[in-house]
Amino acid sequence: MIRYIQESRLEELFRILSRRGPLYLPLAEGPSLSFRPWSEGAPVDLKTVNSTVSAKEIFLPREEAYFCYRRAGRELALEPLEQEAANAVAFGLRACDLRGLEMLDRVFKDQDPPDGLYLRRREQTAIVALACAEPAPYCFCSLFGIDPARAGGADLQAWWHGEGLCLKALTAAGEELLSSAGELLHEGPAGAEEPPRVETGNFGLKLEGLPAGLRERFDDPVWEELYRSCLGCGACTYICPTCYCFDLEDFGHQEKGERYRCWDSCMFREFTLMAGGHNPRPTRKERVRNRFLHKLQYYPERYGEIACTGCGRCLRSCPVDLNIVQVIRALGGESR
Amino acid sequence: MAQDNLNRDQATARIRAAVTQDLLSGRISLLLGWQKGLFWWRSRPLFARSQQDLERLVWDSFCAVNLSRYLPEELSIEERVGILVKGCDARAFHRLLQDRMLDRERVLLYGLPCPGMLDYRLLAEAGVKEAEQMLEEGEELVIQTGGGEERRPRTDFLLEKCRLCPHPDPVVYDQLLLPPGEPWMDPASRFQDLEARERPTPAERYAYWSGELQRCLSCYACRQVCPACSCRECFAEQQEPRWLGKGAGLNENMLFHIIRVYHGAGRCIECGECQRACPVGIPLLELSRRLAKDIEELYGPYEAGMDPEAPPPLLTYRPEDPAAFPEK
Repeated sequence: MIRYIQESRLEELFRILSRRGPLYLPLAEGPSLSFRPWSEGAPVDLKTVNSTVSAKEIFLPREEAYFCYRRAGRELALEPLEQEAANAVAFGLRACDLRGLEMLDRVFKDQDPPDGLYLRRREQTAIVALACAEPAPYCFCSLFGIDPARAGGADLQAWWHGEGLCLKALTAAGEELLSSAGELLHEGPAGAEEPPRVETGNFGLKLEGLPAGLRERFDDPVWEELYRSCLGCGACTYICPTCYCFDLEDFGHQEKGERYRCWDSCMFREFTLMAGGHNPRPTRKERVRNRFLHKLQYYPERYGEIACTGCGRCLRSCPVDLNIVQVIRALGGESR
Repeated sequence: MAQDNLNRDQATARIRAAVTQDLLSGRISLLLGWQKGLFWWRSRPLFARSQQDLERLVWDSFCAVNLSRYLPEELSIEERVGILVKGCDARAFHRLLQDRMLDRERVLLYGLPCPGMLDYRLLAEAGVKEAEQMLEEGEELVIQTGGGEERRPRTDFLLEKCRLCPHPDPVVYDQLLLPPGEPWMDPASRFQDLEARERPTPAERYAYWSGELQRCLSCYACRQVCPACSCRECFAEQQEPRWLGKGAGLNENMLFHIIRVYHGAGRCIECGECQRACPVGIPLLELSRRLAKDIEELYGPYEAGMDPEAPPPLLTYRPEDPAAFPEK
């Protein structure tokens, strides 16, 4: 059954959903848009496609502590941290965000043992997907078989209709979210049983030959050209929904502190810098090649799918316009 | 800004002709320029080594990337590099020259008076979705939308770094390829907008910058793109000693940005590449310009990157310099 809520009453819905636990929504921060815990009056933007930073940060935050440690004399005590993720709702994820999450799941969740921090956030977060009414010029998710109006793996699918949102539960958790909203929701309008179809462009790309053909391309001169304009910043990796590298550090001093993990980027020199000074990826050429081969060859060889969702974030944000479309084209993946 | 009544295609052809000659004769082995990017509103760096490469060269309203940043590395590979320089690229060149990051004799500078580069975000807000909806006529932009035709001053659509630029014409070149233009910002009044937005108390400043810097991703795009960031190893990546944690908390972000901007104080050429490169839109140019303004107030008029013989105020000492240590 389709339920419906007026746009003007969304704030009330957010109020109800945030009573359960943190409610993540795309919030404007200056010209940027990121998924952040909602609070009264927060600048929610459910129209812009896509958020500047991908929704991965709900499940793999920029920084997350494992435990605190405290030392007194020869005694060392480890203290667990508060479980902040309980009963969270992530609202407004796009189909490409969810595809990105599938890719992270294979790395963190579907392993033995799974990654505890990720698993906890994943299991305790209900997901409300929002269909894209109109793709951005950067979008090319259709190339990867994604339907921008139908997200896989969500608990609830939402889509804009008239002056409000249609809501359709896809799982029991989704049903529960709907019933918690009670009388705020009406019966869906006639003729709005399904989100309208949307398709993105694909920049004339074709994916045949990737990844099989890439094994022979490791020393291809194409990398010599591609890396040159790269500045060596980590912007592409941090906004990307399928980049998941992290580092571990301690913060504190001998008596007291915490161990945390935080995002790290293969585009940084010190990412592969070894003790003793050796660096197996000494220049930007090796680092650029690694990043794109990870998307186009290493991940697919291991998990069976190209690690790109066509979300277009690297197309939008790279300061020198070096992006995965340019790389796929340079590797010959163009149909024109 | 009136460019000899040359349209951009004609200007591009003129530039291409000039640099082709030098590349084919071996006078330069590499030309740093721009080529069209993935979208009509983006132009990306071009590293041209052949006539074929040069066919991709463009000079349009989206050549925002400051190319001088690439010079030190390219000069470690190439014998003699040619580079197209706008006002900000030229001042960046001076920055690098003064920091002894490059050899003047091995660079050939082709000067391009800059009309200011356009910001796609502003164009999109005005309803421009396709290149065909936008026509540049001198200092005006003619915009065609569903609602009809609108004429707006071109300066309304400039990137902030360009809108605030007092020196769009290159201050150094070996050859000027296009006729000089008219600046739209008086250097003497370039800090007026900052005065209008003064935050008088430390608490207000802290609140404002905390709000902006908390979303910093620590991607270091601002550092990587900066012509004044010339350390071989940034303090932020040093392992021994470890100055900065790797986390993305406000403390780390603030420490990084304060050190970054202080390191550029009196050396920053105000090209605004830091702000343009920032994926989350932190107003980093304002931070740099606030320091440049302080420097002027303390040490007198100074614009970095204008004259390579004029030492940055914080790298020199004069007896009459203010000694503004607070007295107890």
